[in-house]
Amino acid sequence: MNHADAQVQPRPTGPSRSFQASHAIDPPPGITITGIFHRYPGAEADALEDVSLRVEPGVRLGILGPNGGGKSTLLKLILGLLPLQRGEILIGGIPPDQARRQGLIGYVPQKLEAELGLPISARQVVELGAAWRRPPWRPIRHDADLRARVDRLLELVGVRDYADKPIGSLSGGQVQRVLIARALASNARVLALDEPTVGIDASGQQRFADLLTAIHAELRPTILVISHDIRAVAAGSDRVACLARKLHLHTSPEGLTPRVLGELFAHDLAGLPAGLRGMHLHAHSAGECCDDNPIEPRVDLTISPASPRTRPPAD
Amino acid sequence: MELFTYLTDPLTRDLYLQALLAGTAVVVMCGVLSPIVVVRRLGFIGQGVSHSAFGGIGVAAVLAALGRLSPGGLAEFIVIVAFCVVAALGMGGVSRKRTLPEDTAIGLFLVGSMALGAILVQVSQNIAASRGVSASGRSWESILFGSILMAGPAETLTGILCAVGVLAALWWFRRPMLFHVFDEESARAFGVPGPLMRSLLMILLAVAVVTAMKLAGVVLATALLVLPGAIALRLSRRLTVVTAIAVAAGVVGLIGGLAVSAQFDFQPGPSVVLVLVALFAGAWMWERSPGRA
Repeated sequence: MNHADAQVQPRPTGPSRSFQASHAIDPPPGITITGIFHRYPGAEADALEDVSLRVEPGVRLGILGPNGGGKSTLLKLILGLLPLQRGEILIGGIPPDQARRQGLIGYVPQKLEAELGLPISARQVVELGAAWRRPPWRPIRHDADLRARVDRLLELVGVRDYADKPIGSLSGGQVQRVLIARALASNARVLALDEPTVGIDASGQQRFADLLTAIHAELRPTILVISHDIRAVAAGSDRVACLARKLHLHTSPEGLTPRVLGELFAHDLAGLPAGLRGMHLHAHSAGECCDDNPIEPRVDLTISPASPRTRPPAD
Repeated sequence: MELFTYLTDPLTRDLYLQALLAGTAVVVMCGVLSPIVVVRRLGFIGQGVSHSAFGGIGVAAVLAALGRLSPGGLAEFIVIVAFCVVAALGMGGVSRKRTLPEDTAIGLFLVGSMALGAILVQVSQNIAASRGVSASGRSWESILFGSILMAGPAETLTGILCAVGVLAALWWFRRPMLFHVFDEESARAFGVPGPLMRSLLMILLAVAVVTAMKLAGVVLATALLVLPGAIALRLSRRLTVVTAIAVAAGVVGLIGGLAVSAQFDFQPGPSVVLVLVALFAGAWMWERSPGRA
């Protein structure tokens, strides 16, 4: 069994008093994935093969892998959006479908998948996350506690000033922050983000990492960040799982070596320098544009400085 | 103004009052649904559903020729609604599963239902002739363009009950429906029952389209579901205001259309739709007027 066990404890970030003082927060659940396989109808190969993983409560886990490597499939299985074919997933000891119904998981999709033409405000978007289950005869506008919680979340993600603006009038980054607030609004204790830094420049990625750090410090959820971008998962993660159909690595970002990345992106990196930490790595492959495509055996890697502070690779 | 004259003349007052009452129920229901139809780009599905009514009309005509239901009654309405609901769920299901591209799936149901309806109406005429009874008296013109002035008390009551039912369902499910409409995939991840919301939306759409057919006919029923929302979304970005404007636009379109119809002796359905088109043009120009943020 290809099993990786997270032994590292989450970083000791002290929870802020401001939110926890006024709102009861349940402890975050751990996630246990045991021996899962998944194959799409008509596909010749498994999208996921014997993947096992244990995520401790409150850990920030980055799941890194090439497109077509099974990241989105794994996320959909964790969210209970795909039926489990083989193996087991438990979130806080309960199956994903039940966890989803209980609002245990807050999901942040790739931005701009929503119908931004719908005439609702940023606040209403967050309120939907918090109160869509509420009986129809119980209005939201009279619930001071709910409104205070929504305001606090909007403030936490930095869009409090835009709360009453139409969601369609906000920038892509602001929409993403609103969707993060929505994900947290149902008191979700697992925050799952799908490719959160697609199309965001280096400084924006750093701001995003800072935002996740602030959220983790305040609410202490278990956080899953799924991306093909090494910077997106390395910044602000306690550990990284590398997934290319099988699980290749499950350790801290510092442990990412050329050999591991070479295995992950199916390319021989023997000639590349050690110490890729802090570097931005792109994988270009024929299968990159479509998650359903198999990974091409030949992948070209481009490494570029991630920030002005980073040292360029030695010749 | 002729509409006022007709509304006060004892000979025509009931006719026009019935039309106003039935039409108001239709435009209020369609006005509330309309922003969702526009935002989710369901206009073509609406067109598919309305044209699918031909199939339902054909089935009802055969049943009427066999003496199983009375033409123009509640049973006929239920048969047509049922046919349109099945067609709407079929269109939604086929396009959702990507068995076919969405426009192909809608086109398939649209032309298939129309062809089936045309043949079944012919079959019903043959059955009626063989049994020595007269076939259903429904005119193709009223099917295509509506006949709101022919609405009797039963049809008006049916329209009002349909409107109340659709609005009640929308109110009851407003939060999960809004979540589903805004972001379907995320809504599922939050536990919103996606298939239920999708099916409910298709059923409400089918009921609204069939009810609107009395006012605007098969060809123009979708206009009542698209134009009010398209007008309102030009003028506001707040949901309650948009909904209120869409309903108001529908009511103005109805009264204006009936006034034009009475004044110039035009058909009411197309007149209502043309007034709505004029309102849309006005809203579009206002949206693009200098100084608008």
